[in-house]
Amino acid sequence: MGSNFTLLLDGFQTVFTPTNLMFGLLGTFLGTLVGVLPGIGPALAIGLLLPITLTVNPTSALIMFAAIFYGAMYGGSTTSILLNTPGESGSVITALEGNKMAKAGRAGAALATAAIGSFVAGTIATILLAFGAPLLAEFALTIQPAGYLALIILAFATVGTLLGTSRIRGLIALSMGLVIGLIGADLQSGALRLTFGNLNAIDGIETVTVIVAIFALGETLYLASRHTLVKASVLQVDGKAWMTRQDFKRSWKPWLRGTAIGFPLGVVPAGGSEVPTFLSYGVEKALSKNKDEFGKGAIEGVAGPEAANNANAAGVLVPMLALGLPTSATAAVVLVAFQSFNIQPGPMLFQTNPEIVWSLIASLFVGNFLLLVLNLPLIRFWVMLLKIPTHYLYAGITTFALLGAYALNNSTFDLQVALAVGVIGFLFRRFGVPITPLIIGAILGPLSELYFKRSLQISQGDWGILIDGTFPKVIYGILILVIIGPLVWNFKKSFAIKK
Amino acid sequence: MILNKLSKQGKGELAFASSFFLLGIFVAWDTSGMDIPQDNSIVSPQTFPYMVAAFASLVGLGLIVDVLRGKNGVPDGTEPGDPYSPINWKTMGIVAAAIGMHVILLETAGYVLAATVCFWGVAYAFGSRRILKDFLISAVFASIVYLAFSRGLNINLPAGIFDGILDNG
Repeated sequence: MGSNFTLLLDGFQTVFTPTNLMFGLLGTFLGTLVGVLPGIGPALAIGLLLPITLTVNPTSALIMFAAIFYGAMYGGSTTSILLNTPGESGSVITALEGNKMAKAGRAGAALATAAIGSFVAGTIATILLAFGAPLLAEFALTIQPAGYLALIILAFATVGTLLGTSRIRGLIALSMGLVIGLIGADLQSGALRLTFGNLNAIDGIETVTVIVAIFALGETLYLASRHTLVKASVLQVDGKAWMTRQDFKRSWKPWLRGTAIGFPLGVVPAGGSEVPTFLSYGVEKALSKNKDEFGKGAIEGVAGPEAANNANAAGVLVPMLALGLPTSATAAVVLVAFQSFNIQPGPMLFQTNPEIVWSLIASLFVGNFLLLVLNLPLIRFWVMLLKIPTHYLYAGITTFALLGAYALNNSTFDLQVALAVGVIGFLFRRFGVPITPLIIGAILGPLSELYFKRSLQISQGDWGILIDGTFPKVIYGILILVIIGPLVWNFKKSFAIKK
Repeated sequence: MILNKLSKQGKGELAFASSFFLLGIFVAWDTSGMDIPQDNSIVSPQTFPYMVAAFASLVGLGLIVDVLRGKNGVPDGTEPGDPYSPINWKTMGIVAAAIGMHVILLETAGYVLAATVCFWGVAYAFGSRRILKDFLISAVFASIVYLAFSRGLNINLPAGIFDGILDNG
């Protein structure tokens, strides 16, 4: 433990060099800048900014990433409050109460409680991450390939069935992701799958291309497909973005409760930030003395879910760093960012690249702090960005997404893939299919095959190894609960209604 | 006939659901014809793709059943506008064409032209009708991005017809 603390201090030392601090500052600024743009959530923001980091050294680039990560999260909440366009599921709740507050002339308080709440939640969650991730990594060293496979299948089940409006649609998205993950040469035998003689496809489909295209191009095609484009109106921030003592009194408990809900639900694969933000909202509503204010702009309804959202995002980084398993779209992009520098997150990461991990964790603290200092005073600048006309905004998003897809390998094949994935993204939005399971499937699909093959190689072909040992059995037990639990719940509910 | 009872959205969704069932069959077909190089491993490279194929077909079937029972998807509503409005194929087609033009023009005419056309096309699709002003904004945007990336970040973008003009400036 003591040595981890020393390593963290070393990390801070790395971050506090002038160059790296500058990259942190730049990341905070860019992250907020892109995140604040309507229609761009954290995952897309990081994906779009990935090419910029390609030319920087790994440590500086990851420091920049940590800053972009929190910056994009914060930018998203500003958009939700002032424009009522959440853009991604984690901010839906913030838009619900925050936009009502802004309409009632309390935009400043809503933005302040979101910013300070995000800072409090982010800081606590990062402390928990700094202590938790190494412990998990140490435990993870004892997990056999069959155990990893079980974990991935659990992640598939939770991400596939907990997101969106219908379970089957989540699984549809997952299956599409798995098929995309198949494309290319099989890692072990070199056999070609779904490549149709195209040489470019042998290396597989770039995950960043998939992420950028499905969010940016899918969204643009979807909005263009709507008959009428409704222009959302930007609400003004009157006075300063700050809260009164009364606001503060009503906010601090929701911040802490939101953190307590968000972080653990990020560590276990619970399917992104949708569940924790809704839970936090429900808790705040139940505990509030001002229940009648909910739905009309209750500050608790912004403070709690915003904290939950941020703590959740940090929590998701725990399995991403310690196990190499991303369970949200945002974590998936961060994983890809690591991989583009040939760093493989997982249990070995803390041993092979301690300086990079600990600089990353240190920069999460620093980025979070910079945000608090930068964003509230800069709020008028961010509001200006919200006024960019929709047609230029989406023209810019499309052009930039294509640039990102191309810059990775300098190949037009990636652009063709991007267009195809964009069309898939359009269809998914149209038919209410969630996006995240596709990304998780595309990333974890090949990994699950790898662990599957390794397990069977260890056992010389005996499939029994897949459920051999305590750890896989526990995980599959949880899996059964996750699948059957809601079914029993629904059955009971419908039974009660019939009675 | 059960199909007649489906709404227009339902019919579209039925086609969407069926395509996943077919996708599974297609993956299985591709896997069955796979060229397997000299392989000594215990698990054939075909095993996992067959599992994925079965999974895709199965959930495709599940969605088909759901749609036939009238359980339609809820279109994404996190952005402004009415999610249930009918599809405007024209505006969507323009966006798709703008992206397509970018793909075609990039390595033939160069980044600046490709990005200008793409930016302009999307802005047009989103209802902007100031053709000349938009064109200027598109060209300036494309040039700034090109210069920032090729000179500032050393990421090579095709210069195309501007080869020697923008680069030597």
